[in-house]
Amino acid sequence: MFWRILWRLLSASRSRLLLALIAVASGAAICSALFNLNLDAGDKLTREFRVLGANVVVAPPHTADAVPVMDAAVLERIAALHEPKVVAAAPYLYVSAQAAAATPSGGTAVNEKQENGKEEKADYVPVIVAGTWFDQVALINSWWKVEGQWVSGRDAASGTHEVSDSADCMVGKEAAKTLGVAPGSQLTLRYADRQIPLVVKGIVTAGGSDDSQVFVDLSVAQSLAGLAGRIGLVQISVRGSAPEIENVLHQLSHALPALDVLPVRQLAAAEGRLLERIRGLLFATVFLILLMTALGVLAAMAGLALERRRDVGLMKALGGSVRRVMRFFLAEATAVGIVGGVIGWGVGMLLSEWIGQRVFATSVTPRLIVLPVTVGLMIAVSLAGALPLRLLGRVSPAEILRGE
Amino acid sequence: MMPPVVQAEFLSKTFASLHALEGVSFEVAAGEWIAIMGPSGSGKTTLINILGGLDRPSSGRAIVDGVDVGALSERELTRYRAEKIGFVFQQFHLVPYLSAVENVMLAQYFHSIADEAEAARALERVGLGERLNHFPSQLSGGEQQRVALARALINHPKLILADEPTGNLDEANERLVLDLLKDLHDAGHTILLVTHSPAIGRMAHRRIELAHGRLAQIVLNVG
Repeated sequence: MFWRILWRLLSASRSRLLLALIAVASGAAICSALFNLNLDAGDKLTREFRVLGANVVVAPPHTADAVPVMDAAVLERIAALHEPKVVAAAPYLYVSAQAAAATPSGGTAVNEKQENGKEEKADYVPVIVAGTWFDQVALINSWWKVEGQWVSGRDAASGTHEVSDSADCMVGKEAAKTLGVAPGSQLTLRYADRQIPLVVKGIVTAGGSDDSQVFVDLSVAQSLAGLAGRIGLVQISVRGSAPEIENVLHQLSHALPALDVLPVRQLAAAEGRLLERIRGLLFATVFLILLMTALGVLAAMAGLALERRRDVGLMKALGGSVRRVMRFFLAEATAVGIVGGVIGWGVGMLLSEWIGQRVFATSVTPRLIVLPVTVGLMIAVSLAGALPLRLLGRVSPAEILRGE
Repeated sequence: MMPPVVQAEFLSKTFASLHALEGVSFEVAAGEWIAIMGPSGSGKTTLINILGGLDRPSSGRAIVDGVDVGALSERELTRYRAEKIGFVFQQFHLVPYLSAVENVMLAQYFHSIADEAEAARALERVGLGERLNHFPSQLSGGEQQRVALARALINHPKLILADEPTGNLDEANERLVLDLLKDLHDAGHTILLVTHSPAIGRMAHRRIELAHGRLAQIVLNVG
């Protein structure tokens, strides 16, 4: 009988309930979209944050050596973790060398000197040479502005002394100015008695110390420095929330016990704060929407309560307890919450996909957990908005039957 | 000797400064048909409401089937109305979005368990076997009042309280409803019926006549 009466109640007040349903479904759509985005936000935002550069550095412990280095096998151990949160890992070997734009007249091989036994006459200037893997650098430093081209791929002979004659390099904007090079120029690096000729592929504007460096493939730097199979540090870009990044740090520390695994604290903290603020904004928005939805339901239910006043008085006169009579009307509000919540969830998933495409340029995965959360909230909001119906419990049957 | 079904002892009811009832006392035996009469504002409906547990007396006692109605809690009053009273109102007071049979089942539901077959039989007894699934808006005034009668009887109440049940009916339907009430009385039901009509008043065993909230007289109908 309960369900039969409930169905009659729902059918009898279709137009008024439709208003409440629209309010609930609208609120549910926005809330579920925001919830869904919030679940994906950590991932999406930290992916966006990764344009800020590496947030973890692996380095050899400080020693008395002027230039502490470590075995390049570290890179294999990092790769062996198969950690999906690691976006990229770029090894670096810094060499304080000299560079000249003029091509040496002589050979190209390492350790070679001019045939006449004299040094070439080009003007060498001191530069910091950074040997790295360009494919990884491109992932970590995606904001770099490059005039010319990126050096593609990494040298297959990385880690050996063998360097091709026409190795490519990229030059920081300031270094390029000092050296007078442009894309296509030739450049010679010199360290100790070793020289390496290079072709400038691109000029880098990074807005920092990178602008004063010359970037070469790791193998080139190793050859130049005579440090085969050695690297100075590894810059790693890890995406995820602060706890997820902490987890990766822990794994790295465990895998590389002899090395320092250091988070770039300021960056991680700033990301964490920003993420928390965005989440706070999402929840504040959800709260306001829930409030507005409750007010919408309240307006619709106030009219309904006036219509139902006489019915409640009559039902009480017939022996219906307040609890039993109100159960009909609260079930009615619950039904509005459930139906509105489900419809709103469906619309919300489409909405979150649209926002994901517009804001993050990627798809946002619909999360099923959002459905019960949305429906639960909408039931609560509908019941809160059904306050006028709840007040009907105070109706005096005698007054109603007298026509007051 | 059977105890009376209704004992009204110095019943008074005051609304703000208005004395709707003042010191009304009477008794009604089981199976009696009582007509409550008097001009408008004499306190007839107030008396019915107090006996039916819809209102509380300001003073005095209303004892129905051994229960002091004024002393009941709200929850007990609700059970009292569901179990002991069958109401019939002048305005019919059917739930507009429930069918005839559902209106009867509603009273069953509040009493205990709704039984559609029993509700249908109750409607058949008042001549509405063909109108079970009609809504109040599809029924005539007389038919609506017969649905209300079926609803009042479905839980086998101790007392039927009818407040001008024929007040909104034409002559033919008035006859029909009165015949049904007479059948109920013949079947042993105790009926208190408010009416303005002297003719209907004469159908009862006794007439309790009120004036300005006071008991004017109790008249025993002869024959």
